[in-house]
Amino acid sequence: MQTVQIGSQPITLKRKTEHTVVAAVDTSSMKIGETPKGMLITVRGACVWKQRRQYRYLRFGPFIFHVTDENKRDVYNALRGGFSVSPYEHNNNSSPSLLQMPTRIASFLERWQHTMLSKTVTDGLILFDGSLTSGVADTSTQQMKKILDEARKRGNIVLAFSKMTNLRSNGYLITDVLLGHKPPYLLQIAGLKPKPPILLLGDVYVARFTKGNYSFRLDIDKEVPITCQIEAVEKLLGNDLFSQSYPETLRLAHIFCTFTANEVIAMQRFIVHKFDLKIINRPDMHKLLFGPFGKGENAS
Amino acid sequence: MKLYKKEGNIIQILSFPDETVEKGDYLLIQDNYVRKALIVQVIDVQFANIPGIFEELLRSLPDGGEQVKGEDFDPLEIAPHITYIQDARLLRCKIRATMENEILNPNSSWLPSRSKSTIKKMSIPTLLKLAKVDGKLPIILGGTKDSMLLTIDASSLDGRLNIITGKKETGKSHLSKLLMLNLVGYGATVVVFDLNGEYINLGVTSDGKRNGYYNKIHVLTPSKNFKVALKQLHLRVLLNILVHALHLPGTSTREFRHMWQSLKERDNLTLHELGEVIRNWRCNNHVRDALFSRYYSLVNSGFFTDNVAEAMLLEERLFRAKKEGGAIVINLRNTSSMDRQIVVEYVLGKLVELLTNWKLKAVFLFAEEAHIYLRETYWDDIITRMRHFGIFTTFITNQPNTIRENIYRQADNIFLLNFTNEHDLEAVSRAARADAETVKSIAQDLPPRHCLVLGKAVKDFPMVVKIKALDIKTMGETRLFFKDMN
Repeated sequence: MQTVQIGSQPITLKRKTEHTVVAAVDTSSMKIGETPKGMLITVRGACVWKQRRQYRYLRFGPFIFHVTDENKRDVYNALRGGFSVSPYEHNNNSSPSLLQMPTRIASFLERWQHTMLSKTVTDGLILFDGSLTSGVADTSTQQMKKILDEARKRGNIVLAFSKMTNLRSNGYLITDVLLGHKPPYLLQIAGLKPKPPILLLGDVYVARFTKGNYSFRLDIDKEVPITCQIEAVEKLLGNDLFSQSYPETLRLAHIFCTFTANEVIAMQRFIVHKFDLKIINRPDMHKLLFGPFGKGENAS
Repeated sequence: MKLYKKEGNIIQILSFPDETVEKGDYLLIQDNYVRKALIVQVIDVQFANIPGIFEELLRSLPDGGEQVKGEDFDPLEIAPHITYIQDARLLRCKIRATMENEILNPNSSWLPSRSKSTIKKMSIPTLLKLAKVDGKLPIILGGTKDSMLLTIDASSLDGRLNIITGKKETGKSHLSKLLMLNLVGYGATVVVFDLNGEYINLGVTSDGKRNGYYNKIHVLTPSKNFKVALKQLHLRVLLNILVHALHLPGTSTREFRHMWQSLKERDNLTLHELGEVIRNWRCNNHVRDALFSRYYSLVNSGFFTDNVAEAMLLEERLFRAKKEGGAIVINLRNTSSMDRQIVVEYVLGKLVELLTNWKLKAVFLFAEEAHIYLRETYWDDIITRMRHFGIFTTFITNQPNTIRENIYRQADNIFLLNFTNEHDLEAVSRAARADAETVKSIAQDLPPRHCLVLGKAVKDFPMVVKIKALDIKTMGETRLFFKDMN
């Protein structure tokens, strides 16, 4: 948990309707089953963009991986090599635990999609899901910097929306601090000092775009001048639909990559038919031990 | 297909898009370990309740109702598997029988293995063979969905009560003509109460030529070629007409009986003399008035004559039909409601009389929209007492609620054509030989000229059949105002 300061004056925003492409990326990962040796993971990514009042999408996947203790390092390094923007980045022999593998593989796919969008969109707004923090396990600083540089070169501005945040001001989550100010507005966040090697590549704001108690942490590429950052948000307001302060393009990206139960059944069927893998149903120990008081492994 | 669930005598089966199963189909659930099989019939096809399907559908329509366009890079080709799961169906099936060593029995007290059972479609011919739906007197009803002929045995209509019902223009009369002609073909005596003159040309082909039945179809039109002389009448028959069709009160009936006996003793049973007797009989004036009003109804019907040569002998035609098979079509078209009742009372009375004396062996009676001309008390009479005399009735109606519940309960065969109205289906589903779910589910989706056959004719295995065409001149067509303009 980090304590930060919130700007005392909100930045009031005006919708700018001049035509700007809005593009968004999201990925989903899921464990779809267990085998006697390991687990079955599926990942899928979605790019959605709004151009001339119409939404379009490009979906990648689902990609299914059978990860075991024996092959996890090979799988991880192969994917890191395949998706990495710089060859010098994948010289690490370590690999995450089996349980971390789904999110790590999804991160590779997400960064690759970020790279592709930054190289193909011109003078647009690119929306990421999450923050612009780098130097963490699945996001190297070099890779993130490269993505932002590429985007900037083509006149794009990257904006990252976080649905959850740990940042607090005076003990309150920054997204819970609601002013009596009429939306849309931004609140600038200052005093955020991440511990090395974590690096913050964006300026952080609290964004509240619509009526109702919804606000999000918004990171905007810090290499972009503040006036341009604010203008980018105003263009976003003028070019995308907003419901509950969240941009529709990013919502669609999330919707398109999410796995439904029906798809999970279909993938399990595909695996059983195509690879003759036996999916085992392990008993839920919570239910087994605690009966009606066991709410399952996923319950908190 | 996979066995999913059993509740009561309903089995639920999971079916996939490449397995073509429709309502009405029969499935065989074989459990090789116990060497038994269940025969079930599909009564409804639903979408399987796949988790996440709602989200899937919502996802495809997020942009104000217009589908978001895009591309999928799906190297593993999972999409076909997703649609395969999405299109999975749940078959609701009714247990019809258990098969053990090629022998069928209605027992459904056992349960086949969910994991080891195999499920496959059962062809109608196989089922018919197993159920022994065959015989020496075949009647081809038409084709089943798998292009096989559905044949029932004429003896399954013998001594039975049958109901043909369905909404307008679905082919009820067509089916009754088919059954009737086949019965005539096998030498049966058939009497038809033809309300709309639909049966009068059964002996003629569609192009106007005589067919094989020409000499066996005897059309009797009341007051034209079908008249009776009082001399030919039995007092009981005439009293039935007076009491039930013309509602003559008891006291007047008693006086009429005396008048009749007086005339008979003098061998003077004519209409003219009957009028004179009523005029001169010593009785209460109210009784005289009541008798006169009924007398004029009889005279005005034109059905009664004093000319014995003019009187058509129903008996004679019935005896001819008895010898070589034939149908007596009582053409009630253009006959008033009261006259219709008079004619029907006469015909039924005469039939009972002939059957009681064993002058006739049995008669198949086809009654179209019987509620219009059949008096209340006759319904029970027909299905109980008259059946023992040898009158085997087939009711044909498009208003199933006009037939009483107890008649449905005693019906041996029901030929059900399309109904969309639930109240109509509710009425039919009261039949003892049909379960409500089957009737409601299958009959609603029947196309025109398709019939759900229930009962003894199909050994209680409900079957859908497309009624075969008949090369006869159609008379049941509705007269249309705009016909020539289109």
